[in-house]
Amino acid sequence: MLQTLLPILIFAALAVGAAGAVRRIRLWRQGRRTPMRWHRLVLMPKRYLNDLHHVVARDKAIAHTHVATAGGFVAAMALALVVHGFGWHNPILGGLLLAASLCMFIGALAVNRRRIDPPAKLSKGPWQRLSKSLLAYSVGMFLVSLPLVGVAPTLLGGGVLALILLALVAWGLAEMLIGMGWGGPMKHAFAGSFHLAFHRRPERFDDQHRDVAHDVHRGSRSTALFPLDLTAKTLGVEKPADFQWEQLLGFDACVQCGRCQSVCPAYAAGQPLNPKKLIQDMVVGMAGGSDARYAGSGYPGIEVGKHHGGPSDAIVPQLVEAQTLWACTTCRACVEECPMMIEHVDAIVDMRRFITLERGETPEKGAAAIDNLIATDNPGGLDNASRLDWAADLDIPRIQQRPEGVDVLLWLGDGAFDMRNQRTLRALVKILRAGGVDFAVLGDEERDSGDVARRLGDEATFQRLAERNIATLSRYRFQRIVTADPHSFHVLGREYGAFGGDYVVKHHSTFIAELFDAGRLSVKAAEPGETVTYHDPCYLGRYNGEFAAPRQVLAALGVEVAEMERSGYRSRCCGGGGGAALSDVPGKARIPDMRMEDVRETGATTVAVACPQCTAMLEGVVEPRPQVKDLAELVAAALVEPSAAPTARTSTEAPEEVPA
Amino acid sequence: MAHEALFKPIQIGKLTIRNRVVSTAHAEVYATDGGMTTDRYVKYYEEKSKGGCGLCICGGSSPVSIDSPQQWWSSVNVSTDRIIPHFQNLADAVHKHGGKIMIQITHMGRRSRWDGHNWSTLVSPSGLREPVHRATCKTIEEEEIWRIISDFAQGARRVKEGGLDGCELSAVHQHLIDQFWSPRVNKRTDQWGGSFENRMRFGMEVLKAVRAEVGDDFCVGMRICGDEFHPDGLSHDDMKQIAAYYDATGMVDFFGVIGSGCDTHDTLANVIPNMSYPPEPFLHLAAGIKEVVSVPVIHAQNIKDPTQAERILEGGYVDLVGMTRAHIADPHIIAKIKDGQTDQIRQCVGANYCIDRQYQGLDVLCIQNAATSREYMGLPHIIEKSSGPKRRVVVVGGGPGGMEAARVSAERGHDVTLIEAEPQLGGQITLAARAPQRDQIAGITRWYEMELARLGVDVQLETRADDSVVRDLQPDLVVLANGGHPFLEQVPEWGYSDNSDESLVVSSWDILGGKVEPGKNVLVYDTMCEFSGMSTADYLASKGATVEIVTDDTKPGVAIGGTTFPTYYRSLYQQSVVMTGDLGLHKVYREGDKLVALFENEYTGEHEERVVDQVVIENGVRPDESLYYALKSRSRNHGQVDLEALYAIAPQPTLAESGDFALFRIGDCVAQRNTHAAIYDALRLCMHF
Repeated sequence: MLQTLLPILIFAALAVGAAGAVRRIRLWRQGRRTPMRWHRLVLMPKRYLNDLHHVVARDKAIAHTHVATAGGFVAAMALALVVHGFGWHNPILGGLLLAASLCMFIGALAVNRRRIDPPAKLSKGPWQRLSKSLLAYSVGMFLVSLPLVGVAPTLLGGGVLALILLALVAWGLAEMLIGMGWGGPMKHAFAGSFHLAFHRRPERFDDQHRDVAHDVHRGSRSTALFPLDLTAKTLGVEKPADFQWEQLLGFDACVQCGRCQSVCPAYAAGQPLNPKKLIQDMVVGMAGGSDARYAGSGYPGIEVGKHHGGPSDAIVPQLVEAQTLWACTTCRACVEECPMMIEHVDAIVDMRRFITLERGETPEKGAAAIDNLIATDNPGGLDNASRLDWAADLDIPRIQQRPEGVDVLLWLGDGAFDMRNQRTLRALVKILRAGGVDFAVLGDEERDSGDVARRLGDEATFQRLAERNIATLSRYRFQRIVTADPHSFHVLGREYGAFGGDYVVKHHSTFIAELFDAGRLSVKAAEPGETVTYHDPCYLGRYNGEFAAPRQVLAALGVEVAEMERSGYRSRCCGGGGGAALSDVPGKARIPDMRMEDVRETGATTVAVACPQCTAMLEGVVEPRPQVKDLAELVAAALVEPSAAPTARTSTEAPEEVPA
Repeated sequence: MAHEALFKPIQIGKLTIRNRVVSTAHAEVYATDGGMTTDRYVKYYEEKSKGGCGLCICGGSSPVSIDSPQQWWSSVNVSTDRIIPHFQNLADAVHKHGGKIMIQITHMGRRSRWDGHNWSTLVSPSGLREPVHRATCKTIEEEEIWRIISDFAQGARRVKEGGLDGCELSAVHQHLIDQFWSPRVNKRTDQWGGSFENRMRFGMEVLKAVRAEVGDDFCVGMRICGDEFHPDGLSHDDMKQIAAYYDATGMVDFFGVIGSGCDTHDTLANVIPNMSYPPEPFLHLAAGIKEVVSVPVIHAQNIKDPTQAERILEGGYVDLVGMTRAHIADPHIIAKIKDGQTDQIRQCVGANYCIDRQYQGLDVLCIQNAATSREYMGLPHIIEKSSGPKRRVVVVGGGPGGMEAARVSAERGHDVTLIEAEPQLGGQITLAARAPQRDQIAGITRWYEMELARLGVDVQLETRADDSVVRDLQPDLVVLANGGHPFLEQVPEWGYSDNSDESLVVSSWDILGGKVEPGKNVLVYDTMCEFSGMSTADYLASKGATVEIVTDDTKPGVAIGGTTFPTYYRSLYQQSVVMTGDLGLHKVYREGDKLVALFENEYTGEHEERVVDQVVIENGVRPDESLYYALKSRSRNHGQVDLEALYAIAPQPTLAESGDFALFRIGDCVAQRNTHAAIYDALRLCMHF
């Protein structure tokens, strides 16, 4: 009986699954289409085994579990197809099939153990069922395959037991194959494979990329936002179908593991954002329906089950509230953690673009910043000619006076208008001078890089600023740009390229580390007993992979460094990126307060920062708290300056006070 | 607070000033060696530049001629080429930190003294005596006029050759230029007097000669008055006419404007408004001048607070704010704003200790900041942490000396406890601040309170320290600054008793502290003639008492400086307080429900009586020494301060010794001196802890 029914079951499941898969592909292809390049599917195995697994392997237990379960399943399925499907009853293959099933069974046991009392980040619902289905499939497949190696044939010969066994296999096959195509939890394997093959940022898998050398990643940090065609009929994403199809595919690959949720600073602060829920909402929108079947944690403060969407229905506010989108700091912690390599930030900015450009509904302070950028080229609405006011007594050379060119163009950023950040800039100038660096500034020709405008969705203002800055930069000669602002660093270095601006841009931490390496800075010994911790700015670290240079600088200063638990690529955002400080979505806690708590846990008396935004956010935490110092300030304070020539004394006088 | 207006650079002539804050010209009384800007002078201005000040105009009243005496106020001598290399040192020191420096140059005419040094005959347009300096003078002759015009040009040349960034011609405070301007002083009928143009001629010739000498690119400004406040002097409209007249020449790069003339005691008090004045009382005069001129206008007078300065600048009243006393109190104002330490600014309280010393020919010092102008001796504005052992420091007494001792010790990184018997810090400052017009002196205490909190000093209020309390804290170092008490027991016949029911007299502390209600008809007997007695009389009068203040000295308030006694006089005369000098108090006795005070005139020996219902005595402070003597024998240094080390700004030798605690005492618990003395001793003692 089994020999008859098994092939039918297998092929039926395959056929039904395949029908579902076709439907799934159609759902993805509702998005804006790019040509379907099927041959990319060959890229999948390498991307899976190399790049994706690298991310998964950050949690060793899960990685091993997944290798056993998924590896066991893929092998068992392939062998079952040959052995049971096509009836090639080879004992060796049978043995392998048993081994694969056993392997999968062991993995499934681990999955089940995790599902006994699952951590809050995990979704429940069908995902709880999946763990049982895996057991069913592996046990069923193991037992039905035993006869192949000549074991217990009588037991399986017929009757109730055989029927039960068949039901187990059927359950397993339904979950694994039909569910894969029709939207069960196993959908992740199918969508995930396609997502890897058709990923919108192929550089992430390019292990030959120039970024790779200095990074913790195997591929490039492909973090530049995609330029928006400003002549398009609709600007940004209004409805799910406005996403590019690869994005919809990416959303569909989500395994609801909740790693994004557990690292999201906005979620932790009780703001109405949960990256996992957002991605699931996108899936709901793509497929049509309500979020009532979502079985994970929702957006803080927003009830699950009250929102619905469809591929051609506006996302905001029916499916997702605008507040959810404005709570994002664009810190990319979610993207960094996502084992399925989903691009949450791209999606959020796409939707913000529509809200800002088509609806004009940027939250209040964000709208003011954009208005200011349009009017004055800086978000504060300040006279751009005052960008160098802080340096009136520093005699900083202007690049306009250096037609022959300079080594370093010092890009000031909008921190030049801020008294706090001026301290950092003054310190940096002092360091550049001490290091004998040939540098100049653009002065009032410098404009905002466009970072905030772009993250707030105003791509038009961003592109205008980018084009004007690029035009300005094209008039002057310099070897490289150095800036103390990671946002300028990112935008100039990574995002201007799409508009024809290609520069060597260095963050000041990198540049200062190089000055130390070249022996061009001498510093006095650090005071003993003072511990420093370092806060990685998102746009320096996660966006650009620079984790080492700031730490080299601190090492050069000889200070004792206590790392925060969340540091490096897992650094927690200060709360100030992506215009979040402007949209200021209320939550239960403030992100910078939480970050300062991370700092306090290290016992450090100083938190070294490397970004004007982080400085502002962390210094906004009420005292008493560890002091906040930019790396440049720490270096400048430790510099040993060449001693000034003694002033010529024209007469001597006794230190008597009462005049003659 | 962004202070954008404050930090907006400005162009004066060809010069860029990094912000809008100026330390305006004032007589420092620091120049030595015949008027040279030597070490002390240079370091004083270097500190301001280091602290971020945009422009320093140094050398108030620096004479360009040898017949304008330099020595009285140790001002800078611009009448000799010998000054040039000194100017170079000064310019280098200021420029090193990004500041700019100019100097005020002048001929003071009759506004000086003739009775010393070269015994110069003072000159003035019409030979009229100047009342404030009691200065008689001759009528200036044509030849002298032209010589002095040429002296101005030579003085300006020396400034330029010395590398300073500009010079300010003083035509304010009734110096020679504005002596020619003012019809109150200039009665001439020749081409130098009479008509507007004739009165303007001397200043115009000076300006032309200076410009001809230094060229167009060197910064030359003028400091003028906004209104002389004399019916026969220059009015505000006159001053607008004058400013516009000089401005029209295009030769003036900036105007500094001061409200009020100052050739009488009363107007002089306006010039450097003390704490009895409102903020920026004469801004409107400067704003009026700004209306009629085309160049930047600087105004200084009671601008002490960065927010106030920002408001003035944002309002567009003037282009630059003078914060001169503000910088004497804290030369790091600007740096502290920039460093986000606005709360740490030591704000000027308008006590005018600085300027009142200057008018006596003494070097300018700050009542609350003992480091000011002592930078050259090594006294720090920013106290560095000690690299030595962390010590347990106990300070007894929360007056100015004790607060400074606690602050400095804490800045050094020690573990500091401050014990104060009263429910609040401040000591005698708290009493002083109770008087009308004197409340702002409490700003001294307010700053210390904030600093002590910031530095984590354990302040124990309402705690009376005896020797066991002190020793229980197991101190390494003990600083006693526990002050004293009103010295009423000096003359038994005054009838003072510890039992307040029996005592015939009360103290100024009792009155100001609110312990005793003011009587209806009150006699204040004041042997000190300083702030305390005048404040007590003013306080009593303000509460409705009929008051006579009597002293055995020549006149009540006679020991108070020139910018402050006038404001007391204004108030006391207005309230019909009788001020009597030359009577010594012999005896007080009770007669019915009245008190009789028996006086003897110092010069005639005649007796006088006053029948009153309250006698208040201000006879200074008697130190409280009991705690000192209780601790002295146990201390390893027997309570002795090593004076050689103290005066040399060196560590006390006992700091290097071991044994039981070291004991020091400072301030009025040793002997009565003043706030500055207590703070100075605390700083120079504790900065080495």
